[in-house]
Amino acid sequence: MEIFTTILGKADAPEYKAQVHRLSHAHALDVLRLSRADLSRRRLRATSDAGADVAIALPRDQQLYDGALLSLEPDRALIVRVETEIWLRLAAADQAAALRLGYFCGNFHWRVRFEGAHLLIAVETDLDTYLARLEPMLEGGEVWRVPDEEVST
Amino acid sequence: MTLLAPDQNTRAPGPARVGIGGPVGSGKTALIEALIPVFMSRGVEIAVVTNDLVTKEDARRLQASGLIDPARVVAVEAGACPHTVIREDPTLNIAAAEDLEARFPGLDLILVESGGDNLASTFSLDLVDWWMFVIDVGQGDDIPRKRGPGIMLCDLLVINKLDIAPHVFVSADAILAEAAAVRGEGRPVIGCRCKGTQTQGVSEIADLIMRDLLFRQVPA
Repeated sequence: MEIFTTILGKADAPEYKAQVHRLSHAHALDVLRLSRADLSRRRLRATSDAGADVAIALPRDQQLYDGALLSLEPDRALIVRVETEIWLRLAAADQAAALRLGYFCGNFHWRVRFEGAHLLIAVETDLDTYLARLEPMLEGGEVWRVPDEEVST
Repeated sequence: MTLLAPDQNTRAPGPARVGIGGPVGSGKTALIEALIPVFMSRGVEIAVVTNDLVTKEDARRLQASGLIDPARVVAVEAGACPHTVIREDPTLNIAAAEDLEARFPGLDLILVESGGDNLASTFSLDLVDWWMFVIDVGQGDDIPRKRGPGIMLCDLLVINKLDIAPHVFVSADAILAEAAAVRGEGRPVIGCRCKGTQTQGVSEIADLIMRDLLFRQVPA
C-alpha cells in the first residue's frame, strides 16, 4: 500500500506536463479512477488501474480533482481521473412543471445542474430509483426524459 | 529529468473522521460504546462528537460510561433537524472536531454521531471521510427495501440488534440478504449485536475502519 498525504499539482502543469506525457507513452502512467462524489473525500483507499493499493489522507484544506498528480517518479506517475458520470436529462412542459421539478429534486437532495432549458440529475445510485420517484411527473407528461443525451462527464 | 516526491513539509492530514447516522433508537450510541474498547485495545487514539436535538444526553452517557476520557467527548446541540448540522451546514460539527484535534494532537480517529433521524439522513463529506448508517431489526424487516438515501448512500450499512430478531418476528438472515441486494455489489452490510456478553459484528466494523480509513493492518 502507498499512502499519499498531498497532491503534487495538476498533471498538465508546465513543470510536470512533459514528464507525464513521456511516461504515458511508455505505458507507465497509472490512473486512480474515482467517482465525482469521492472527490470530496479527504481519506480513501482504492485500487489503481495497474492494481496498486492506493491510500489517500489529505489535510482538510486540500481536495482531489480530475488530473491531480499524486506521484511522479522516473519510471511511474499516478494521477486521479474522474469516472464518467451519468446524468438524467429532463425537460419540463411549462414553468409551473419546471418549478415543481426543481422543488422535488431539492427535496430529495439530488445533485443537479442546468443546461439551457434542461435540468440534469446526477445518477449516484441506480437509475431506476430516480425514475421510480419521478414516475408521477413522467407519467403525467409534466416532465420528460431527453433521449440520447443522458451520458456526459 | 525531475525527480519529485510529495512535499514532506505540508500539514499532517489529521485524524480520520467517521460519521454514524441512523434513526432514533437504532443503537448508534451503543455501537460507539462497543467500538471504543475495540479501538483502544488496538492502540487507536479516539474521540467522539455527539449530536442531540436540544440536550447533551448522548455525550453525558459516553462521558459517564468509564470507557473514554470524558474530555474526549464533545456535544453538539443541533437545535433543528439533525441532518441540518451533518449535511447542509456542518459548521458546528467541524468546529467540534477541530477543537478535539487541537486539544488532543495524537488523535487517530474521531467518531461523529448524528442525532436520531429518518432514512433520508446523509453526511457531508466536508465533515466526515466515511460514514455508516445504523438501522435495527426492531424497526421492521422492510427498512432496507425502502431504499432511503441513508441506506443507499452510506459507506457501510449496519443492521443492529440481531439478537432481538426472533422476538420481533424478523428473519436476521433475510433482512441482511435483502439489504445486500438493495445496496449492490461491493457496498458492505454488517449485522451487529453490540450489547450483552456476546457481541457480533463490532470487530468487523472496526476492521473496516482500520483498513480503509486508518490504513492499518487488521488483526488476524
